[in-house]
Amino acid sequence: MDSSEQAIYRAAIQGDRDAFEAVIRSFSRSLFAIAYGILQNREEAEDVVQDTFVKAWKSRWRVRDAAKFPAWLSTIARHRARDLARRRRPEPLPEDFEATDMVEFEGSGQQADLDGEVRSALAQLPELHRVAVTLRYFEELDYGTIEKTLGLTNGALRGILGRALGLMRKRLKPALASTG
Amino acid sequence: MATIHEQIDELLAADLHDELTAAERDGFHAHLVECAECRQAFQEGKNMNRILNETVAGKKADAGFEQRMVSRFRDRVPKRRGLISLVTDLLRVRAVQLTAVAALLLALAQMGKMITGESATSVQRRENSTIMSELARDRDTLGASRASGLLAKKDGRTDGVDVAAINQAPAEPPPPPPAQDKAESETPLPVTVYNTEVQRRQHSTAPKTKSAEFKDAEKPDAAADVSAMEMVEEPSASPSAVNPAANRKLIRNATAELEVPSFDEAIQKITAFAAEEKGYIATTSSEKQENGKLRGEVVVKVLPDNLDRFLGKLRGIGELKNQALTTEDVTKAYFDTESRLKNARLMEQRLMEILKTKSNDVADLLKVEKELGRVREEIEKMQGELKFTDSQVSFATVTIQLAEKNMNVPAAFLLKERATLALYAVEVEKTYNDIKALASPKVQITNAQIDRDNTGRISARLSLLLAPEESEAVIERVKGMARVENFQVNTQRVSQGGDGLGENAKTERDKVELNITLSRDEQETALQQTSLRIQTPEVNEKTKHLRAIAEQQSGRIRSSSFSRDPNGREYANVSLRVPMKNYSALMQSLNALGKVENVSVRRDDRPNSQTDEANAPADVSIQVYSQGNIVSQETGIWATLRRTIGQGAAALMWSVRMIGVAIAFLAPWALILGLVGWVARRVSRARAARKVAAEDKAGLS
Repeated sequence: MDSSEQAIYRAAIQGDRDAFEAVIRSFSRSLFAIAYGILQNREEAEDVVQDTFVKAWKSRWRVRDAAKFPAWLSTIARHRARDLARRRRPEPLPEDFEATDMVEFEGSGQQADLDGEVRSALAQLPELHRVAVTLRYFEELDYGTIEKTLGLTNGALRGILGRALGLMRKRLKPALASTG
Repeated sequence: MATIHEQIDELLAADLHDELTAAERDGFHAHLVECAECRQAFQEGKNMNRILNETVAGKKADAGFEQRMVSRFRDRVPKRRGLISLVTDLLRVRAVQLTAVAALLLALAQMGKMITGESATSVQRRENSTIMSELARDRDTLGASRASGLLAKKDGRTDGVDVAAINQAPAEPPPPPPAQDKAESETPLPVTVYNTEVQRRQHSTAPKTKSAEFKDAEKPDAAADVSAMEMVEEPSASPSAVNPAANRKLIRNATAELEVPSFDEAIQKITAFAAEEKGYIATTSSEKQENGKLRGEVVVKVLPDNLDRFLGKLRGIGELKNQALTTEDVTKAYFDTESRLKNARLMEQRLMEILKTKSNDVADLLKVEKELGRVREEIEKMQGELKFTDSQVSFATVTIQLAEKNMNVPAAFLLKERATLALYAVEVEKTYNDIKALASPKVQITNAQIDRDNTGRISARLSLLLAPEESEAVIERVKGMARVENFQVNTQRVSQGGDGLGENAKTERDKVELNITLSRDEQETALQQTSLRIQTPEVNEKTKHLRAIAEQQSGRIRSSSFSRDPNGREYANVSLRVPMKNYSALMQSLNALGKVENVSVRRDDRPNSQTDEANAPADVSIQVYSQGNIVSQETGIWATLRRTIGQGAAALMWSVRMIGVAIAFLAPWALILGLVGWVARRVSRARAARKVAAEDKAGLS
């Protein structure tokens, strides 16, 4: 990790607002990806990101090791997103499922169907897998950064993503073959 | 290492995300050329990657997202001013938190201590600990003494064994000293057969085998061994020779308590009876009571067979109050001693033989002599025991308690008089000295004491002892010296040397005890207390007049005061005391001073005391006052306003103080509750995080 990054994290932990705002700028997108991966809803994910930063500011003194600051942020975001998801559990499908209407994908009906299928396949993955996939496809982050953000050990992400994509591929096999 | 085919999912994803190393990529693509299945998967993966890029990428955050987050953060977390933020930041440091919590707990504990006022616990604990240590010390000494006792016992045993070894084999070289080790001290065991196991034959087998070994090793002479065996046989024969039924050893004792008309006569009769029954008087003792009656004890020894008859005869002497007969069977102890004596005699005989026949070594001889001495001493002791028992058995002991009739009739009566006199004197010291001057051989002063305290109160106490013939005259004279508050006489008839009614006893008059208490009459509480107010415009003048009236009526002014208040009102308070006989005259003359108001009278009757009422004091307190100015200076709008504001400020301060008290009381509890809640939340968070980690793990595998 960059020593300048670490210095910023440390300043943010010690209560420097400017440093913390810099942290917000650099991490809000990844946190959004994480929250979206869990919730599958943009508004809610945005709220989660906001709450995460407010909470992180209030309890920043708990972080002992500045290097773990990103992982800590993502943990907060995951907790909050999970809390929210648990609260709305009675709903059977991701909220924006019905939003996948013809407005966005006006092309072919087949394309829209495929889109929905991808989404439902994604929704059926375990949480961590889902989060890893969204992080990768939202922000096109490299594996090392994603691992650092999620607090994973070296090389674990490759297995997670491989398994996630493999599962999705098997589930979507007929559709993929037809679009081939 | 897994093959590429097996890892196809992982490699496929990494390849699509451009995360393969060059070597991995080469290997992967080479495999794709070979494997149709993987090629198919690769194609599907590429399609899915494209679809994902298209669909998911559309959902990602918009361009202004970061800025929006920052500005919302600024809205939700406003900047704090210096001091507050400093304090909150400080409070987030773990060390500061811990210190604060510790200080808080300490303060609470101190407060609790102050409230309950307890500080004794630590002292008590210290006491407990000292008790514990004492107990421990006791236990240690006990253990030590037990250990030393064991040691002593062991020493004794080894000593005994040594001595016995000489008995067994006197011709041998001296045995090992007791300080030698256990194995050696155990070797001369055959001796135990001789010495201690004589009366317990059943145990003799094991030692006997050892004695055989001993014999082989040390070559003792055969004669000694054989005689030892004989000894073993002996004691079992002696008890069987005794016929227990025919010759029982019984010690009989009796006690009797008698009431007789005349002690000397009874002693004579008992002596005669004892002679008749072939007995004798062992001891007599007698004691004369205060009223001339005799009481005593006689011990008689009679033949046991005649005991019952003797007791029957005793009944004729007087009234039997109490009788007891005891019999103690000592047969077993007697014959035990007898058989032990027999054994000891045999032992003595044997030692004598050794002394005669085998006298080579002087040291051995000395040891045998010593042992012989010990055995003889034992024999004498046992003989003495047997003789004593014989004497006990051959005569029964009768202990007779004698007392003459009407033991408790009193010899004389004494009339004791005790008088208490409480006096009020104008001059305590003078009266005290006057009473002391009465002293003479017939009037003795046993105690005289005068107390004066720093407030000017004075009192005296005297105790006198008066000859009976002088007592009335002296008491009358003392009564004349001062005013009597109380006089009490207590007469008591005390019987001497017993209780009950003595028909012939004479009554004597004892000295009269007189206790006098003297107090100053100022201290006397008034019989009647009156208070009244007199209103007059000329306070000063009327007060002077009042003093004159009081003196006229032989009253005394006890206190007086004069004051004037801001409104121009004048007050004079006068308190005076007059004898009851002048009270009504005083009240009459007071009417001349002005308008008498608010009269209140209180009278304390003393029904049980012989107070002379005409001279008893009556207190009158009089307030003479004038009307004063009608309008007070402390009125008007400004005064009212000032008062109102003052009271308002006072009320405000009071409420502030109360709020402070409430905060001081509640704040510690609120802090503790907050702390508990915080800990609980952290714990639940940690638990949830662990659960998620477990889920993640499950997802990974």
